[in-house]
Amino acid sequence: MNAVLAILMLLTGAYLVAVLEDWASTGRLRLAGPITSGLALLGRESIVPRQPDRIFFEVAPPLLLVAALLAAAVLPLSPNLIVADLATGALFVNAALAYVMVALLMAGWGPDGAYAMVGGFRFLGQLIAYSMLIVMPITAVAMRAESLFTTEVVESQAALPNAIYQPVGFVAFFVAAMAVAFLPPLDLPTAPGELAGGVMAEYTGWRLAVMRLARAVLVVTLAAAVSVFYLGGWLGPVLPPWAWSAIKTLLVAATMLLAGRYVPRLRETHVLEWGWKIGIPLALLNIFYVGVLLLVV
Amino acid sequence: MTTLTVALVVGAILFGIGLYGVLSQTNLVMIMMGVEVMLGGAMVNLVAFWRFLHPEAYAGQMFVLIVMTVMALEMAVGFGVGTGRFRAKGSVEMEEAQDLKG
Amino acid sequence: MLQAIFTGFFGLAAIWFAVVVFRTSSMVRSALALLFSQAAIGGMFLAMQTEFLGVLQIMMMATEMAIMAIFMVMYMMDPGGLGGMDMTHQKRASQVAGALGALAALAVAFLTGWGPIAGEVRPAEQVYGLGIEIMERSMLIFETAGVTILTAMIAATAIAIKRRGSK
Repeated sequence: MNAVLAILMLLTGAYLVAVLEDWASTGRLRLAGPITSGLALLGRESIVPRQPDRIFFEVAPPLLLVAALLAAAVLPLSPNLIVADLATGALFVNAALAYVMVALLMAGWGPDGAYAMVGGFRFLGQLIAYSMLIVMPITAVAMRAESLFTTEVVESQAALPNAIYQPVGFVAFFVAAMAVAFLPPLDLPTAPGELAGGVMAEYTGWRLAVMRLARAVLVVTLAAAVSVFYLGGWLGPVLPPWAWSAIKTLLVAATMLLAGRYVPRLRETHVLEWGWKIGIPLALLNIFYVGVLLLVV
Repeated sequence: MTTLTVALVVGAILFGIGLYGVLSQTNLVMIMMGVEVMLGGAMVNLVAFWRFLHPEAYAGQMFVLIVMTVMALEMAVGFGVGTGRFRAKGSVEMEEAQDLKG
Repeated sequence: MLQAIFTGFFGLAAIWFAVVVFRTSSMVRSALALLFSQAAIGGMFLAMQTEFLGVLQIMMMATEMAIMAIFMVMYMMDPGGLGGMDMTHQKRASQVAGALGALAALAVAFLTGWGPIAGEVRPAEQVYGLGIEIMERSMLIFETAGVTILTAMIAATAIAIKRRGSK
């Protein structure tokens, strides 16, 4: 029952994120947009490249979907609506998101195409830039909660949400979450316009529909992770808990999608440079700052 | 056939496969993959011993953490050395690395 | 009983992927097969109720093996595997050595009396217990490991960086 409800809410969230993304990039609000484009994709011909690495080509879209779903399974929507309350939930989110990278590497190498391969390997470079920025803020959050249970992380923010308690960590995790979901300005693997779609270039028909669905679910999962770790999950005065979770998740997703409209795409070298030279010292400072706050204040 | 025996058998077979890989491959990268498989087998044994014989002594889990760290480190340094050799000689094959003189 | 089945299933997956690593001729397939073998080992840890180590193994190995895939494409002669080269030497000797090693380990596993099998463990307690162990008894080990990691990072970067001035 829990799992069914969680999947329904996840799919609703993915649908709304798809509508939001369309609205942010074209300026027109089409509420039936995802359904019509999904049906169109399912009806189109499914072209397979001439000499693909068959296993990778077929496995990459479902693996992307599975990775996003696994990460969403440990995030709570309300105190008793969580699919799997693992004792190491906060770490498991990161473990599941690592397989997003594996899926994109497979999607890059599989189709035996130049643009796809460049996109896939660029995402590996982006991963090296963002992987520390994803884990270190989670460490600081777990320090405050004194546990890795995601439900306890939310409950530890009853007094003050982590976004105000650890602002540096919040900004770092937000940027790193945009990098995991390869949203603009960090959309190096797909790079519409430069790489002609990158890793999604060689996929057509129903496989492309699965990849786009997986990408929407990934954005919802990451927005839910930001709201659980930093904005206090289901805590809030008047509405029921699941309503607060949904509102916060959608607000974070809308902010992520809007931020990309105003910043040009970052170059690979800059992403790596800034991630390592600026991001990691800031994340370490954040851990130190949270440690001082917890022990002294 | 307890779970301990199952885990020990799996660890032993992984160790054997890794040893075959290390001794039979000619390329540095493949040899390192063999070492990773061997260390994986050793970790399986360690966790089985911790879980089924001494679950109260967390030093067992500490050992597994250190082995994981060592896996990452030897890969990093090994690839650094491989990069240096590739720049100097143009390949990382072990067959061509047998003579001392450049 | 269920635990033995799950451990055995993940163990078979780990062994099968490890065999694929050395039998396939496509290099990227080899690296990703190693990734799934290590992920299956992480699954074995989860089946044996060592939750933290299992999740850690699955997470670390995804990143490490993907980096290994990049290095294979950089340094190996036939990354796509379509040329059908044989990249082994001393094949017979290494098969014998591998079989002997596995047999020795199996003999130790079956012939030793391991003693009584312990009971239940709880995952939530483990994270706390491991943390206390790191901070109290094994603090020196962890600090040494930290310094070693820093040294290895500096050493690897120093070897791999291009020399200034020339070329």
